[in-house]
Amino acid sequence: MASTHTNDALPASVEADLHAETATAAEHGSGGLPQFQFEHWAGQIGYLLILFVILYVLVSKVFAPRLRKVMDERADTISNAVATARQVQAEAAEQAAQAQAEVAKARADARAMAAAAKARVTEDANARQAAEEAVVNDRIAEAETAIGKTRDAAMANVATIASDAAAAMVERLTGKAATSAELATAKGAA
Amino acid sequence: MADPIHQFQIQKVIDLPDVSLPVLGVVDLAITNSHIAMTAAFVVIVGFLAAVTSNAQVVPGRLQAAGEGLFGLIDNLADSIIGHEGRKYFPFVFTLFILILGMNILGLFLTFTATSQLAITVTFALITFGLVLVVGFAKNGLGFFKLFWPMGAPLALRPVVGLIEFVSFLLRPVTLALRLFGNMLGGHVALKIFAGFVVSLGLLGLGGGVGLLAFPVAALSLGMVVALTALEFLVAFLQAFVFAVLACIYLNDVVNLDHAH
Amino acid sequence: MDAEAAKYIGAGLATLGMIGSALGVGNIFGQFLAGALRNPSAAAGQVGNLFVGAALAEALGILAFVLGILMIFG
Repeated sequence: MASTHTNDALPASVEADLHAETATAAEHGSGGLPQFQFEHWAGQIGYLLILFVILYVLVSKVFAPRLRKVMDERADTISNAVATARQVQAEAAEQAAQAQAEVAKARADARAMAAAAKARVTEDANARQAAEEAVVNDRIAEAETAIGKTRDAAMANVATIASDAAAAMVERLTGKAATSAELATAKGAA
Repeated sequence: MADPIHQFQIQKVIDLPDVSLPVLGVVDLAITNSHIAMTAAFVVIVGFLAAVTSNAQVVPGRLQAAGEGLFGLIDNLADSIIGHEGRKYFPFVFTLFILILGMNILGLFLTFTATSQLAITVTFALITFGLVLVVGFAKNGLGFFKLFWPMGAPLALRPVVGLIEFVSFLLRPVTLALRLFGNMLGGHVALKIFAGFVVSLGLLGLGGGVGLLAFPVAALSLGMVVALTALEFLVAFLQAFVFAVLACIYLNDVVNLDHAH
Repeated sequence: MDAEAAKYIGAGLATLGMIGSALGVGNIFGQFLAGALRNPSAAAGQVGNLFVGAALAEALGILAFVLGILMIFG
């Protein structure tokens, strides 16, 4: 690395620059911070006040109302959209409720119809059963009366048979015919 | 090393004749680099706001979203601090905020930072202080002085606390001006010092030999400059925001004087 | 002692005031973080207060810094 060369060439300009810097530094160094050179204050303050007032008027009369309008518009749009969505949702909920009610009604109808049919069928069946039972009961009653008659007849026969048998037994045992009064007491005792 | 203070030097660009005003005395009307920086910030701000609002859509584009972000930031600030009357003071706070923000940020791109001039920050502080005084007296009349009569303090302590309140009230413009000024001054001085290190250490390294050790330090300084620049962007925004917040707080003191005390 | 040397020493001493400001700013952010970790939902609303507090604390350090600069260049 040709250090001598670069030493000569490169920093020469920089050195000159540095000299210039120190020269200016010495120039205002005695006056302290440049911010405290009060001769520049009035011009800056006046200019800043003018700029401030212009910007204030612009902001308060043009920019702020414009932006506020857009923001209000946006708020309106959003609230409108939300309201619409809410309304649509309410409508949908209403329709759903309606549909549900219809379904419930149809179900109730069907249930009632089924119940009615069932009741009718049961009634029919009951009626038929009752009729059948009545027929059967009639027959049973008929049969019972027939049986009762036969038994009565048989019972009446039994008394004569018994007195006959008793008269025959008495005759065989005693050799003489028993009187009908004796027979009657014996039969009653028997 | 380059003089870190040189960047704040006011230089006349176009020299106009001095005028003598009745109260202020002789005023130098020259257009300086400070005027140019202020004008640049003003033009950029007006151009930005015009671009944001001229074709404002309900569904914002990128530029409009950025503008509305700044707008909403200050709007929320004024509303939350001052209350329902905040909307009335919004244009003032917004003007203050965006002018300071524009000057701070342009100062990082240009060679001259308007807000690093004490004259500028003092003007901003005095505008705010003046508005607080005007609003205070216009709204409350002489009741404005209730601001310095702390009802919460014990009776015996009230004159003492009131005196302290009064002094701190008078110091408000001073701290407002010095905070912004000091932040901008300090940031730019630090940037310039580290940038100066890069050059002077680089020159030392070019000498060769032991001087080569200066190169890593120069690289470190360069990294420091980059990091500080990022920090300065944050500070530029933050100081404008803080100025706006404090302006809102000071305005709230006098706007809602009866509710607060 | 040279007056120039005294100026630099004075500037250095003046900037010591920034220590307090550094402690204050660190304290503010540390406390904010501690609070934010405890109740993260409330943290977002306090960022504005955080930065205002930090700026107020920082202003005092900046004052010290400006004084130091004034001593060197003033």
